[in-house]
Amino acid sequence: MNNDTIINTVKLTKYYGKQKGIEEVDLQVQRGEVFGYLGPNGAGKTTTIRTILDFIRPTRGSATVFDLDTRQHSVEIHRRVGYLNGELALYNDMTGEDLLKYLGNLRGGLDWKYVKDLAARFQCDLPRRIQGLSLGNKQKLGLLQAFMHKPELLILDEPTNGLDPLMQHEFYDLLNETKKAGRTIFLSSHVLPEVEKVCDRVGIIRQGKVVAVETIETLKSHSIRQLEIHFARVVPKEKFSNLPGVRDINVQNNILTCTVVGSLDALVKASAQFEVVNIISHEPSLEDIFMTYYNEGKNNVK
Amino acid sequence: MLNNVFLKTLRDQQRSLLYWALYLIAIAVVMALFYPTISKMTAFNQYLSQLPASVKEMFGAGVVDYTSPVGYFSTELFSFMVPLLLLVFGIGFGANAIAGDEEKGTLGFLLANPVPRWRVVADKFGVLVVSMILLGLFFWGGLAIAASSMHIDISILKLGEATLGSVLLALVFAALAFMAGCIKGSKSTSMGVASGVGVLTYLLNTLGGMVGWLKGYRFLSPFYHYMEPNTLQNGLSPVHILVLAGLVVVFFIISIPAFTRRDIGQ
Repeated sequence: MNNDTIINTVKLTKYYGKQKGIEEVDLQVQRGEVFGYLGPNGAGKTTTIRTILDFIRPTRGSATVFDLDTRQHSVEIHRRVGYLNGELALYNDMTGEDLLKYLGNLRGGLDWKYVKDLAARFQCDLPRRIQGLSLGNKQKLGLLQAFMHKPELLILDEPTNGLDPLMQHEFYDLLNETKKAGRTIFLSSHVLPEVEKVCDRVGIIRQGKVVAVETIETLKSHSIRQLEIHFARVVPKEKFSNLPGVRDINVQNNILTCTVVGSLDALVKASAQFEVVNIISHEPSLEDIFMTYYNEGKNNVK
Repeated sequence: MLNNVFLKTLRDQQRSLLYWALYLIAIAVVMALFYPTISKMTAFNQYLSQLPASVKEMFGAGVVDYTSPVGYFSTELFSFMVPLLLLVFGIGFGANAIAGDEEKGTLGFLLANPVPRWRVVADKFGVLVVSMILLGLFFWGGLAIAASSMHIDISILKLGEATLGSVLLALVFAALAFMAGCIKGSKSTSMGVASGVGVLTYLLNTLGGMVGWLKGYRFLSPFYHYMEPNTLQNGLSPVHILVLAGLVVVFFIISIPAFTRRDIGQ
């Protein structure tokens, strides 16, 4: 495994009792990338993360972080990782400041000026007791403690939970800076536009299995697109049937509507035989892409 | 107070420890204040002496003279009340230390930091032991000051030894609750197991004093090792102390692999 693979899981499998957990998850996260881990609630995102952090132990398979085995070297890995829980549970009877000081001490000291800067950016009310904080303010504290020691790798489970749009932007900026500094981010999310906005690559997990790992661009190129082509006159439907990737063709007078999976090339070339007045493309949202991969299991379209 | 898991856990106990200490001191003082009145009630002594031996057993082995300082304090404080209070504190703390934090989710949060699991177990167990010893010291201090200011003729050292016995007895069950929490991660289960074993072994010891065939099994009860030496009269008995301390150590040692090997709950 080369030096630039920060997280590497090999057939990582975790079953627990009734719940299915995850099955044969193979993921490689490279240095300096923002990797999005997408899936609906209960798909196994948190289970994957908790296995990587050695909170739970794999039934089969293994994982390394920084080339260190997660079972053998969890303490060393934790030293170099910043982690934000999905279901954030903080010590309610502490103030934010005490919490950060405590965690800083467990890490052998902190650049307190940087912590203060981050707190100011996220408008954290550090002297307040955590008990009285709103969900969003607790989340900001959670982000702070993940970023405050400038870890090489950030593992963030649903990081924007409860953040207002302004703070989300601040968080995206922080992600960008972190990435520019050459540090790596692994974040799980079910918020698709967020992943689209900040991630380089995406792993999609569904019912415990990773169904795709793609760059955002590839993902989009695999996507389903709704197209509407307006011709100058009526076109014969037969000319468009049997084109690769083109489905649900419907011709009404001079307007053709269809669904295209992946490349538009065949459809464009077929259309070129006729006089084209207008092409209306509905830009695929990641939501559609998501659904494509999800439906794959059922319909087997790719 | 935020340097490590030990100090942070101790810090979390501050308020609880303060209240428990005040409570224990208050009980010590009140009991000492009542002694002069009790000491004059010799008729009560005659009544007690007529009770069957098996019933006397329930008040503490070998205590005959209730109106003597040793008899009075053994019966009123050390045979039931003090161990019980320390047990309640200890089991609550023991169950909360790992399992309670785990259920709240804060344990997973803590373990994401570069702290080995065994260290979390050791630090929290350390705070349990220190807390119980502190409570014992406060109680002993309160009792010693109250007894000597009332001019009660009793050995301060023996009061301390009896208190240490109570602390050790309570620690056995506190460590059991702690260990159960490390094994299972459920606070209510831990409390249930420790309290259940506590009640059963208490009954084993007291009934064992009355029921012939049970007598041979009394040694299995931590209460037997606590009550049998009649510490307030005779001082600590090394063998019985070792048994209690040994149990605490065994429960602690089992706690570490139990916790380091298993999955942590959300």
